[in-house]
Amino acid sequence: MSGSEKTNEPDTVDRQLAMVIDLNKCLGCQTCTVACKKLWNRDAGTDYAYWNNVETQPGKGYPALWPETGGRSGAGEVKRGEVPDLDSGYGRAWDFNHRAAFESAAKPAGEKAWLQPNEEAHWGANWDEDRGAGHYPEDNHYFYLPRLCNHCTHPACLNACPRHAIYKDKRNGIVLVDQDSCHGYRFCVEACPYKKVYFDPMRQVTTKCLFCLPRIEEGVPMACARQCPGRLRFVGYRDDPEGPIWKLVEKWKVALPLHPEYGLAPNVFYLPPLSPPKLDAAGRPTAEPRIPMYHLESLFGETVGAALETLRSERRKRRRGEPSELMDILIAYDWHKSFALSSEHEVSR
Amino acid sequence: MSDVEARSASEERQRRHVSEEWDAVAFGTHCVNCMPGDCPLYVYTKDGKVVREEAAGVIEPNEPGVPDMNPLVCQKGLGWSRELEGPERLLHPMRRSGERGEGRWERISWDEALSEVADAMLDAIEEVGPAAIVTEMSPEIVTVPPTARFTGILGVTVLDVDGTINDFFTGYQQVFGKFSFAASMDDLFHTELLLIWHSNPAHTVIPSFHFITEARYRGAEVALFSTDVNPSHSHVDYHVPVRHGSDAALALAMCQVIVSEGLVDRAFASSQTDLSLLVRTDTDEFLREGHVQEGGRDDRFFQLHPERGLVPAEPANLLLDFAPELEEGCEVKTLDAGTVLVEPLFARVRRLLDAHYTPEQASSVCEAHPETIRMLARKVASRRTRILLGAGVCKYFHGDLMTRSMLLMLGLTGNWGKKGAGVGGWCSSLFDGLSTVMGKTKPGVEGGKELLDGSRMIRDHLVAQDPSLTGELPDRELLKAVTSRSIVPPAFFWYEHAGYKERWNRSDWSDPTMVRKFDDYWREAIASKAWGEVADSTPLTPPRVLLEIGGNTLRRTRGGKKALLENLWPKLDKVVCMDYRMSQTALYADILLPATQHYEKTSFSMPTPWSMVLAMGQAVATPPGEARGEWQVLGDLCKKLAERAEARGLESYPHFSGETRRFDALWDAFTLSGTMADEESAAAAMLADAVTSGNMPQGTTLDTFRRKGHSRYADWSFIALAKANASPFPKNETHSPLRNHIEQGQPYPTLTRRAQFLIDHPWYREAGEDLPVHKEPPPMGGQHPFRLSGGHSRWSIHAMNMSSPLMLETHRGKPFALINEAAAREKGIEDDSLVRIWNDVGEFIVNARLSPAQRPDGLTVYNGFEGFMFPRGRGANEVEPGMVKWLHLVGDYGHLSYAPTEWQPVPFDRCINVDCEPFTGEL
Repeated sequence: MSGSEKTNEPDTVDRQLAMVIDLNKCLGCQTCTVACKKLWNRDAGTDYAYWNNVETQPGKGYPALWPETGGRSGAGEVKRGEVPDLDSGYGRAWDFNHRAAFESAAKPAGEKAWLQPNEEAHWGANWDEDRGAGHYPEDNHYFYLPRLCNHCTHPACLNACPRHAIYKDKRNGIVLVDQDSCHGYRFCVEACPYKKVYFDPMRQVTTKCLFCLPRIEEGVPMACARQCPGRLRFVGYRDDPEGPIWKLVEKWKVALPLHPEYGLAPNVFYLPPLSPPKLDAAGRPTAEPRIPMYHLESLFGETVGAALETLRSERRKRRRGEPSELMDILIAYDWHKSFALSSEHEVSR
Repeated sequence: MSDVEARSASEERQRRHVSEEWDAVAFGTHCVNCMPGDCPLYVYTKDGKVVREEAAGVIEPNEPGVPDMNPLVCQKGLGWSRELEGPERLLHPMRRSGERGEGRWERISWDEALSEVADAMLDAIEEVGPAAIVTEMSPEIVTVPPTARFTGILGVTVLDVDGTINDFFTGYQQVFGKFSFAASMDDLFHTELLLIWHSNPAHTVIPSFHFITEARYRGAEVALFSTDVNPSHSHVDYHVPVRHGSDAALALAMCQVIVSEGLVDRAFASSQTDLSLLVRTDTDEFLREGHVQEGGRDDRFFQLHPERGLVPAEPANLLLDFAPELEEGCEVKTLDAGTVLVEPLFARVRRLLDAHYTPEQASSVCEAHPETIRMLARKVASRRTRILLGAGVCKYFHGDLMTRSMLLMLGLTGNWGKKGAGVGGWCSSLFDGLSTVMGKTKPGVEGGKELLDGSRMIRDHLVAQDPSLTGELPDRELLKAVTSRSIVPPAFFWYEHAGYKERWNRSDWSDPTMVRKFDDYWREAIASKAWGEVADSTPLTPPRVLLEIGGNTLRRTRGGKKALLENLWPKLDKVVCMDYRMSQTALYADILLPATQHYEKTSFSMPTPWSMVLAMGQAVATPPGEARGEWQVLGDLCKKLAERAEARGLESYPHFSGETRRFDALWDAFTLSGTMADEESAAAAMLADAVTSGNMPQGTTLDTFRRKGHSRYADWSFIALAKANASPFPKNETHSPLRNHIEQGQPYPTLTRRAQFLIDHPWYREAGEDLPVHKEPPPMGGQHPFRLSGGHSRWSIHAMNMSSPLMLETHRGKPFALINEAAAREKGIEDDSLVRIWNDVGEFIVNARLSPAQRPDGLTVYNGFEGFMFPRGRGANEVEPGMVKWLHLVGDYGHLSYAPTEWQPVPFDRCINVDCEPFTGEL
């Protein structure tokens, strides 16, 4: 396998690989998280890191309060941010006391151990699961937000690295860390406003999602996308007019980047979530969705309302029995077609 | 090194990370009690160790225009290989060296372990008989064939699985006379209106959840009825909050709207249900042939023809060439009471609904707004409606009434037996090979064929005797005939042996309409002989040995850990636990036998209609330690029993069939002369039998499974629990159950041969439950302000995977109780702090997870956490009284009669009354 051509000039990539994540299909099952975790980041140093996580919104997210700790990079300007704390920001990988729990089963109450992390555990990658916001029962709301590296067109991490160790693969725009050049300064960890670059304290280098580059090179979708039971991830190239990415992002304009105001031009896009109506004081459904627009606008920008309206109107069309290209793409009749990569979409056997 | 080369080296390491971590890949799956659980995976190994698994994504679409089922996987499936070398894995046979439950073990050899087990079994047989050896049928499908075969040959006491796991939907049985039917999961795509009820599919059906979101994109609407704003809520069009246990009132109000607004599908209701049958106004019973004709049958009923008057309701075919009267009655001369006014049941149901269940009346009970009730009722009447009804409903004390009310709504609107419509229960009997290897007595396909031919002969004989047995009816009679003595509903065991007598007789925890003591009904049920000899004798047979093979009674028996440890355990001379992991039950066992796992042996997945495929797991990993497969271990145990019996001069044992059987013939009988002596040969035998019967495609072998990982079925299995699907075998289409009733008029296996809403049994009339009604949940656990409920968690298949670090790290790493944020703060309970939850039964301590999405009076602790995951080793199980409903003891009323995995009393664990407070003491 040959090494890729690299570029530190983001605009010079030949093609840009991208992902669309349909939040209206996400059930928060964490299969993507586990798929990623089984393939990457299993050893000491990276065991705390989830390149892919799914967080409940509203919620603090992972790492905690990440939108408040990022170094934003509006107009290409880099500003220093924070490196999240291992315990209160990310949450450590826990060790459990199975043996002690088994061995003390019949001991008196005061001496009994029960299964728990050996460390004090007060935060983790999915600590806020299923809590959300609102009041029972009128307007409770929450939804799941899967997050991974956005493989930005203008990556803050790339700009922040004094070693020029971060680059984009010219063939597909994937943002990669050259760990042999990395000196572990963590400027990239600070700079990424999505907090998707991680520091490996054992190897003293940074590490991040590589869009499963070795799989992509063989025409196999990323582990997280290919094994998503909710079938909410679409993968392909930005410039492929027949592929799902172009259609959802450019044609239908329903797939939006997360925090577009950061100015990094992410290449992971989201279909914003619809939600059931709020109830009025008597318990009747109102015309207003439960998830407040201000929350969605804070995540996906001001075009989120138009995207939701497109989704609603296409759904109404389909209910009337009329055709809708948009609904048909999102249904993903043929799972294989969710992934428009260059070669056969078979797992290497 | 140049810059470019350095970058290449970094990338190359990552490529190698993926490519060099494995040296072989093969298909695998998980043979557990999971829906659907038929997920073909690629299992990657290196040097005989599994490094990871990946969804294979090889399922072909079933029907043009319907999405395929790929990738068919969940996070547990992807993480399963961690179970293989996880911290709970049992590696060696062990003998308890301290007190029970003390956690002290000594490693022993397989020979020692099996000798000890065999000796205890022989002691029990000598003292009492084989019935003193008790085993739970495990739902873990990999353990079912060998265990059922072994226990059947020995004739031990086998507790029915659907009683022990509490998943039996009493309401389905009461209405349809069966519950073993289910749609394929892609059939949901045809649904126009989905009502998610007592269900949280975002947790429970992760691989098939996409059909819900995709049906929505196709145009379906989705409503969720739940007490909490559960994790499925964000994918629905309407969230309807309901009070705990008020669902019957809601469903009946929807029925009232449908009836009063003239939205009833009268043709469907007349032919498919008992609503067109005539009922007496003097006794509220069905008018029976025996009421009007000397020597007439009491299972023959009448309809009112608009011209011809009283006509017999056809028992063998439901298709009607006339529209029976639904509103008006007539006078009938009866033998017992002279002239009596009779009326169609529909008229009586209409009066009941109008009197008690207008949307306004129901709203004051269930808290849903009357306008919401009307809006949804109208939608149900005009759209293909499916209720995604979770097994939570059958765990409510009055879950049967709720289910009957929901089904009444579907029956009034023609909403089953059609694509995308209806409900589904639990069906795990699609594979003939499972049945044949459990029962056949001769080796090879000849043995399987003999069993099938024998079954067919009995079936033909039954039909010859009663030609009105059409459709699936003779299959059900056959099932009852061949299994009548081998399995016992566990209620009959627990009542006497496990400490439930006192609890079930707590009338203050039961329903106030139970006018007599529970024990009176109990005695009457036993005296009726309706539950068979096994149920009669089990309470009188002292238990001596408990064989848990893949089961976990101390976790899953409702209220069971305390009750069983205090009452049952002292009676047991030996508790034997064969499992791959240290479960709650294993902790309290005397002997531990380490079992192999998925990826370590050849086995098949759960044969359900959900996927309509059977997947196979292969032996690709080296079992750790001394773990062995169940076929091999039970075969060795047969040999050991013979050896130890001979040593004590014991030749034979009495089998319940009446035969005297020889110990030295056990191994031959179990393995059929060695032809099924291990997992591989048993799997081959299963498959060969299924190909011979036509259940699996011709040419299917273990090798074809190895190449494809799975296979479609070619036809329904021969057994009644598969034929209960009552639909044409689907070819190039999704599967919707119950179609034969609609399309061909095949009768339902009920007393009236129709979907039956009236149960005119005297106990039901006495309790006011002869028709579906709403009743308040009884105060199980005492008078306390919070309602404790549960449900399956996201991260576990019951207790499996629950303590896997990989799964624990995807949440808070510990069990938790979801508590309404405001209600908790009022009590001084902070997020993640410890709370004490208690009632009259017991108490447990758990971390609180505050959430605004809980009802202010609701507490949710998901099911599946092991006791050892809680402080003091006590989980939510400690506050469950494990009550059963006295009306479920009726066993001699038409379809309210026992067949394996069906009609029987099952304990409840939803809506338990508890209180909570911050925990401040010493742990």
